[in-house]
Amino acid sequence: MPQGVEVEHKGSPVYRASVSVCYMNPVDLMDLGIEEGARVVLTSRAGRIVLTTWTAEGVNRGEVFVPMGPYANHIISAETHATGMPDFKSQVVDVEVTEEPVRSVGELMEEIGGLRYDRQ
Amino acid sequence: MIVSDVVCPFCGCLCDDLELEVVGDRIVRVKNGCSLAEATFMNDTRLPAPIRRTTTGWEEISYDEAVKETADILKDADRPLLYGWSSTHGESQSVGVHIAERIGAVIDNTSTVCHGPSILAIQEVGHPGCTLGQVKNRADVIIYWGCNPTEAHPRHMSRYTTYATGFFVPDAHMERTVIVVDTRRNDTVNIADEFLQVEPGGDYAVLSALRAIVRGKELVIPQKVAGISKEQLIRVAGICKNAKFGAIFFGLGLTMSRGKYKNVRNAIELTDELNRHTKFVISPMRGHGNVYGSNEVFTWMTGYPFAVDFARGIAFYNPGETTAVDILRRGECDAALIVASDPGANFPRTAAAHLAKIPTVVIDPHVNATTALSRIHIPCTAAGIDAAGTAYRMDGVPIRLKKVIERGYPDDAVILKKIYDRLNGGWDHD
Repeated sequence: MPQGVEVEHKGSPVYRASVSVCYMNPVDLMDLGIEEGARVVLTSRAGRIVLTTWTAEGVNRGEVFVPMGPYANHIISAETHATGMPDFKSQVVDVEVTEEPVRSVGELMEEIGGLRYDRQ
Repeated sequence: MIVSDVVCPFCGCLCDDLELEVVGDRIVRVKNGCSLAEATFMNDTRLPAPIRRTTTGWEEISYDEAVKETADILKDADRPLLYGWSSTHGESQSVGVHIAERIGAVIDNTSTVCHGPSILAIQEVGHPGCTLGQVKNRADVIIYWGCNPTEAHPRHMSRYTTYATGFFVPDAHMERTVIVVDTRRNDTVNIADEFLQVEPGGDYAVLSALRAIVRGKELVIPQKVAGISKEQLIRVAGICKNAKFGAIFFGLGLTMSRGKYKNVRNAIELTDELNRHTKFVISPMRGHGNVYGSNEVFTWMTGYPFAVDFARGIAFYNPGETTAVDILRRGECDAALIVASDPGANFPRTAAAHLAKIPTVVIDPHVNATTALSRIHIPCTAAGIDAAGTAYRMDGVPIRLKKVIERGYPDDAVILKKIYDRLNGGWDHD
């Protein structure tokens, strides 16, 4: 819900917190030796992104769930297999523990050639 | 002042029973709305004036200057892309199509990364649907497949399904059976009578298994299909066959996962199969308030619902080739006009990155992720808040959005019309 509430305020800390999350099964978190709230880096063939972990028992082991948004899209390939629709729901990723910070939406946009208007 | 019967423009439900308290140019209270509606009306921070990117920052410019420069960018482009359209009214969408035809552009709307695959499936096998009023008054079995209305369409259940009292379903909560199918246990599962947790990418197999069982071929079904037991599949198929009126609502869990439009096609064919036993309907849970409208407007003007390419002088449609993500991924377009949407946040990185390489103009009331990628951002009214216009609900019913307050911004339809006039050599001759 916070994602939808803040959808017109993409520079806001609440939006950032709601979409820069990696939902994981608690047993997987235990396997990685980290607690909820620690940061992980997800690497796919399309890129890498740092996210904050969150426990979600509804997510199966071996899977992660990242809400649709600029963070998930950072590691989604633009290939559409001639349908127009990228593989938003299925990407193979490696998950590693990291100390790197979670970047802001503005920083992600600047990385691909943009320039933030609101310096949040 | 109290304004009643207000339509919330946020999601495809277009709830039309809101009551707003207005003081001057501000909305101070929202009654009947969900938290998404409250945020839409009360937390509506706008970009104050048109802005242009300079080498080091941003500068404010006049509306006339912004319109002139936008028209020049579009006029000079060989392969312009006009994208977005789903959060504004039909009046703007139609001017957008006229501009696309005038300059030979590709025009695409947000369904391209949303329910575009659903449209492809409907083009293959048709759409056995109905209005939400029918569902409310008749449906005793509801299936939410690959969607999470609790978070994304918060009032869908209270207005039309689980908690809505219907003419033939007077005790809705007791009489309606709710089935949720998803890869993860989301919030909507809490109200479900049956939950089928499908392995990621397994929807097609589960739909095929249900079709086989409904057809009486349950002997061919293995003990487990994509993580779901045969026993549960048989039970669910039984619930569906014994329904008086069943309704399937599906979301991006079907359109974005492996199989894409073939998943939706299979779901429609399951609906077809169930209609040999009882009445069953299926409908997509449309996201943006007026994304259905963009499909309607595009279709009645061009013949195609999205991804329309006017480069040949006539309307051409080939999803996978003329869709926005593919055009950006290939680095094909050399200018972009983004209206009422945010591809910077919602497109894969490499597609969004191309927007920063070309002159991109955004027309949107709010600063969003795409603002950072643009050369010019022109703020405008927000349809349903300070502009009236037509929007289509997720079941295809057109609803008139109200103008509730005046905030001094120009309507995006007016801005687009000025761009169109300038492209035609009109407006002024400086």
